[in-house]
Amino acid sequence: MSPTELIREFLLKRKWSYALGIGAIGVAEFFQVRIPHILGDFINRLKGGVATEHVILGFALELVIAAAGYVFLFGLGQTRIGRLGRVMEFEMRQTLFGHWQTLSTRYFQQHSVGDLLNHTLNDVTAIRQAMSMGLNQISQALFLFVATLYMTIRTINLRLTLFSLIPILFIPVVIAIIRPQVRTRSRRVQEALSDMSELAEESFQAIRLIKASSNEPIEVERFRRKTQAVVERQMHLVRINTLFQALVPLLSGMGFTVGLVYGGWLVIHGHISLGSFVAFTVYLSMLVQPLMQFGIVINLFQNASASMIRIQVLLAVPPEITDPQEPVTDVSWTGAVTVRNLTFAYPDTEQPILSNLSFTVPAGTTLGIVGRTGAGKTTLLNLMVRDYDPPAGTIMMDGIDIRSMRLSDLRHLIAYVPQDGFLFSTTVGENIAFSQPTVDPEAVEEAAVQAQIWDTICAMPEGIQTEIGERGIMLSGGQRQRTAIARALIKSDARLLILDDSLSAVDTVTETEILRVLKKVRGQKTTIIAAHRLSALRDADHIIVLDHGAIVEQGVHRDLIWQDGLYAALYRIQTGGEVAHA
Amino acid sequence: MPKIDEWDERREARMSDSATAMRRLVGYARPHLREFLVVVALVLVYIVTQVMQPWLVKIVIDQDLIVRHPHFRAVLTIGLLYLGITIIGLFANFTQNRKLQWMGQRIVRDIRNDLFTHIESLSMRFFDTHETGRLITNVSSDTNQVSQFFTSFLLSLIQDGASVLFVMGAMLLLDWRIALVSFVVIPVIVLISALFRKKLRDNYRYTRTRYSRLIGYTAENLGGMRITQIFHQHDKQMRQHTALNQRYTAGNINEYRWSVLFNRTFSALGNLSVALMMWVGGEAVLHRTIQVGVLYAFISYIQQFFNPINSLTQNWNTLQTSMISAERIGGVLLTEPEVVDPSDPVEIVPADARDPWGVKGEVRFDHVSFGYGPDQEVLHDISFSVPPQAFVGFVGETGAGKSTLMGLLTRFYDIQAGSITIDGIDVRDFRQADLHRLMAIVQQEVNLFSGTVADNIRLFRPDISDAVVREAAQTAGADAFIRALPGGYDAPIRAKGANLSLGQRQLLAFARALALNPKVLILDEATASLDSATEMILQEGLTRIAAGRTTLVIAHRLSTIREADVIYVMDHGRIIERGNHVELMAKGGYYARLVRQSAPTERLHQQA
Repeated sequence: MSPTELIREFLLKRKWSYALGIGAIGVAEFFQVRIPHILGDFINRLKGGVATEHVILGFALELVIAAAGYVFLFGLGQTRIGRLGRVMEFEMRQTLFGHWQTLSTRYFQQHSVGDLLNHTLNDVTAIRQAMSMGLNQISQALFLFVATLYMTIRTINLRLTLFSLIPILFIPVVIAIIRPQVRTRSRRVQEALSDMSELAEESFQAIRLIKASSNEPIEVERFRRKTQAVVERQMHLVRINTLFQALVPLLSGMGFTVGLVYGGWLVIHGHISLGSFVAFTVYLSMLVQPLMQFGIVINLFQNASASMIRIQVLLAVPPEITDPQEPVTDVSWTGAVTVRNLTFAYPDTEQPILSNLSFTVPAGTTLGIVGRTGAGKTTLLNLMVRDYDPPAGTIMMDGIDIRSMRLSDLRHLIAYVPQDGFLFSTTVGENIAFSQPTVDPEAVEEAAVQAQIWDTICAMPEGIQTEIGERGIMLSGGQRQRTAIARALIKSDARLLILDDSLSAVDTVTETEILRVLKKVRGQKTTIIAAHRLSALRDADHIIVLDHGAIVEQGVHRDLIWQDGLYAALYRIQTGGEVAHA
Repeated sequence: MPKIDEWDERREARMSDSATAMRRLVGYARPHLREFLVVVALVLVYIVTQVMQPWLVKIVIDQDLIVRHPHFRAVLTIGLLYLGITIIGLFANFTQNRKLQWMGQRIVRDIRNDLFTHIESLSMRFFDTHETGRLITNVSSDTNQVSQFFTSFLLSLIQDGASVLFVMGAMLLLDWRIALVSFVVIPVIVLISALFRKKLRDNYRYTRTRYSRLIGYTAENLGGMRITQIFHQHDKQMRQHTALNQRYTAGNINEYRWSVLFNRTFSALGNLSVALMMWVGGEAVLHRTIQVGVLYAFISYIQQFFNPINSLTQNWNTLQTSMISAERIGGVLLTEPEVVDPSDPVEIVPADARDPWGVKGEVRFDHVSFGYGPDQEVLHDISFSVPPQAFVGFVGETGAGKSTLMGLLTRFYDIQAGSITIDGIDVRDFRQADLHRLMAIVQQEVNLFSGTVADNIRLFRPDISDAVVREAAQTAGADAFIRALPGGYDAPIRAKGANLSLGQRQLLAFARALALNPKVLILDEATASLDSATEMILQEGLTRIAAGRTTLVIAHRLSTIREADVIYVMDHGRIIERGNHVELMAKGGYYARLVRQSAPTERLHQQA
């Protein structure tokens, strides 16, 4: 659904609420414009010498009542519309998050998290501002403007109103012109500031290098240039801000001068009363605010419409990986994998990453995949979990094309350990039980023990309840990988276990232990391990060697050494030639 | 118990420190004192014009409009006067604002520069105990908060304070009895805005926290969407998002309600005070003690109390945050570098242009013991000696003390016992800059700086020429990939080096070390994160860059140091074995076991 439709539907569903809010503001303004009028009458009575103490108190009370009506109703309307705007913001955030969940890996590789976040940080906020602050201000400004004009023209003097209004009418123009400039310049200030912080960050992070090379003076000089840039951009902003802050009161001061002189002339010549003159000066000051608001509201709506377009574009992105029309179900899966004539190029690229791969992994066996960086190992595994769609009929689970399976079925069958060991910023226990939040603690412990992370967890301050920070920052690389392995192992009914170079940061002793455990569970699971370090493949039943997306060698370890090809070469590098003659 | 006493003492010391820190920061404003006085004068001009405006209207009403024979000429004169003072006032305010900001900006810049310079001069232990993020906040936002003290708090104190006083003065001049009655509103305004201020601030913080949780959650989920999808946990993640979103929305609505309530209370109070003036002033007009114009002026003046008082309470908060920031900055500025240059440093004299170092590069550790804290020794009685131009390796498990060893050689820390010498000169007798000129360090994590490739190799040093940069890159084997980059040596490097692979970054780091032309080269796990094929390329570069230098290599992968002249095997802060590869394998000890464990198959090491 497009955001315009979303907003329309939202407004329609709550039209009475909105009507009540806007109505309250309208009536509030009716009360507000009474106030100068009461003052004017009061002055006239006083001047005429016909007032009594009783009359004076009466006027004061009348003013209090008008003010109370205004304050209460305006507050009511403001609160209502502001609240609705925030509820709309809530729904929009929900829609965005839900939409992102349907999008595929490709989308997230093409867009940086920072860019995507801008939608929820800036675009949603811009729309909410237009729908709450903008709507509030425009309804207040319109009602107040019309009511004030009505009162001044009707009860005071048409010409006085028109003449005094001339300078004041420029206020919204000035605002509409200057405000976007203020925004641009303050964005440039922010950029300079984040440039400066970035430099400080990279410098502090590289402090060992900087100290070891006596580079401190150079860094200081670089930093000075950044702080100087901040000063310059700040002053650039200050110049327009101060201009803006002077222009608006100048224009209203000019309007006031006209009112004072021409109004005085009208009083002297008996066209208006002194009370009207006083009331008029109050009306004039009341007009400045709605006119400023017109300018602001114009900007708010401009920003919101740009944001609407961006969100529209985002919501129009269709999910790439979807369930088939008629999914194959009711199969008792064993976890046998067949790859047949698989050739694959990433969308929008010519060069195939994988060419003509064919191999079979019988249920319950272990396949090792070896190759240099960029050989296609990760791509192959990504196709198996359907991050990307393989061509039809090239990857089969128990003989059934994975594209004919429901996504939830496929992913239920697979236990997957990613290369980067991505973890969420919750507790270590919740991370392990990610796929089964209701599982009992014993199962978590068992998985953790299997992944050789249990002892580490027990040594943590709050054990399984320890928060591990953003993306698991509190853990070392190896600990993250082991936690990610536990997260996969806890899926006890998965039939296929995939490890994408998931032992790279684990030391060799722990690696040996983990492999020993995997060997035990592999009776129940088919296992596919991709690795740089050949020691991770010591238990593989079969190893395929990928180079430039093709299988160049395959077999068991001993055969591959005898073939004396790429595998043997990699092996020699890793062992330093020690056992090449074995 | 003694520990607690000690802690208290330290805290007391810190408290008096923060007073010193504050004084030091005020010192940054001192050179601008004269400018500040000009600003104050301009502020006063502005306030006087603001106070004069209602007074002029009062004159028009009382002297020209309600008299029996009014004359327009006087009205016109006062009207022009009104416009005149408005323009003068605005101009004064405009100039004041620019001057003040200009002053404030220079103060922040100076504090920032000094703070950064100071942080860079601090010793490694400081960086071990202070998070980078915290330090960046010190430099970017705390400095800004401190400058707010001058540009916002002091200004508000003067502008708003003077404004309230001048209005009070004008009221007293007009009619002191009515003035005294109207002053009743002042404590009421103070009270209400102070009460709301705290609530508003709490609400704001509360909502901000919830908002950043929501955004943090969203960011993390965008990064890990793949994991959510592969583990099929959309619903669960959505539920959490909904919960966070609801909490934020509720907080946001609550915050908004309070701010509306505050604004409406203020406007109600404003109207009440007008009604009060109508009543009190009206009576006075009735009894002929004041004229109508005076009543008008009172009605205008009483409303001028609201904004300044509100702004004063707001700035009271600014003062508090400024003080906290000042203390934080002061804490950093008062930290003295732990490692300092000797009072009488050794002068090293380069023999000639071909030998710019003046040392041969013989490294010796003599009974060195070291711990990061008093009771936690991590290196115990380490002794070894590396002849000039030798290539030695250090192996051992994580935490065995290998990196610590290198940190001691570069004098990032001072040792507790023993000595470390280069060519027989204790590292503590060198000027740090001289010592570091002799060395270069290549670490596992390659630090990149935003700049061009060439800048990254020469570390922005103007004294390293383009030719040297290129030669270094060629020798390190980095030239080929650099040329392939769009822009070659001038290609911009993005933050975190996203456009370079791990191997390329490591080659760049080698080139950098070469460009620095050290006599002693330290490689700290420099090849750990690479795949074997890339490592092979690096290995060749490594041999070339090590030529003619003393090279100390810490290795994760044993293949890196197979050819080393001597390998030192470390365990729990001690050297437990030493010798070359063949000797150590023959010995069949710890090293031999490590080698076997890294072998790919169990079957094979049985045969080996």
